[in-house]
Amino acid sequence: MPTRAWEWTARVEPGCKVTVTNPTDAELVAAVVAGNRDAFDGIVARHRRHVYQLCYRFVGNHEDASDLTQDVFIRAFKSLRTYKGDAALGTWLYRIAVNVSLNKVSVKSSKAEPLDALLRTNDLRVVADAESASDAVLRHERAGQVRAAIARLPKKQRATLILRMYHELPHEQIAGILGSSVGAVKANFFHALNNLKKLLS
Amino acid sequence: MTHLSPSEFVEFAEGTLDARRTAHVHSCTECRTAATNLQDVMRRAADDVEGGVPEPSPLFWDHLSARVRHAVANEQVGGAMWWLAPLRPFAPVAAALVILVLVSGTMVMRHTEPPAPVEVAAVGSGTAVHAEPGMDVDATLDPANREVWEVLTAAAADLELEDAHAVGLSVQPSAIDRAVQRLNADELNELGRLLQSELKRSGN
Repeated sequence: MPTRAWEWTARVEPGCKVTVTNPTDAELVAAVVAGNRDAFDGIVARHRRHVYQLCYRFVGNHEDASDLTQDVFIRAFKSLRTYKGDAALGTWLYRIAVNVSLNKVSVKSSKAEPLDALLRTNDLRVVADAESASDAVLRHERAGQVRAAIARLPKKQRATLILRMYHELPHEQIAGILGSSVGAVKANFFHALNNLKKLLS
Repeated sequence: MTHLSPSEFVEFAEGTLDARRTAHVHSCTECRTAATNLQDVMRRAADDVEGGVPEPSPLFWDHLSARVRHAVANEQVGGAMWWLAPLRPFAPVAAALVILVLVSGTMVMRHTEPPAPVEVAAVGSGTAVHAEPGMDVDATLDPANREVWEVLTAAAADLELEDAHAVGLSVQPSAIDRAVQRLNADELNELGRLLQSELKRSGN
């Protein structure tokens, strides 16, 4: 997907205009809070993929992940004044995404994408990798079993495992997202993996 | 030498455990077996890294941005008490929990004798965690007891409000009203501070 350089003209004092190109997250946040709504497009464009992928890991289907991603950014927009910059904007958005996703999965059981849909999306990759159809089916079956088992983990273990295994976030960042200590994150990860093993066996 | 704690098992599996403790894994059959099991399940979970999230259509991202732009078109960034809006449905529950804490705290403070330390025995290890009210347990634990505390915090981390309700811990709305009316000015200020702190922590 092509990247787009975000820029806008900001009036810093009467008669003086400054054009900001490829701004930092902090500059985008400051611009939105100052009333520049276009700057929020830059925040969405920069973080939408990671937020969507995180939401998808929780709900397992495109429709819900898409709705949740939209919800995350709407909540972020409404709450932007509370963002103080003490954590990275991505971490802050992840925190909202985890909360929104966990609320969603607690009121609605996961509606995972059917195997056929996953196979269709991976058809090209399968061909490119010269992987046989039966191997692909087996791989997807195993992946489906893992996803179903993860969906049965307690909420905090589930969030910890997803953030660590599939988003490869450091334990310190996960602690910031979940409001836990690093030790608690590691312990949660340990228990999540042990429970996952029991569920898969 | 003591067996690895849950944190240390994770560090071993990720290759960040210090050399002394890593040597223990190689010499201890029990820890080696547990570590191997942990690495096996990590490999199994990693099988789903690539195929787990199908890439949406390229058009989806612009469509998503347009949906967000449209949704926030009439929204304000902030405003007086705006941050309470998303959590307003949960306000009675949050208030009930905070009041329970305040009432419990008041009862403890009115007690003439100092509260006894809490002792939590670690099953099988023979160690114990001593906790004085108000002390930061996590910061003061020695490494031997940290494992016990991590198990306790991990077990309590997923306690849901519904679970508490299922075992009979509930507050009737009229009881909340009565309790709030009994609070003095300082307690009301503390209630407000705790609510704001909880709202900020939840990231909403």
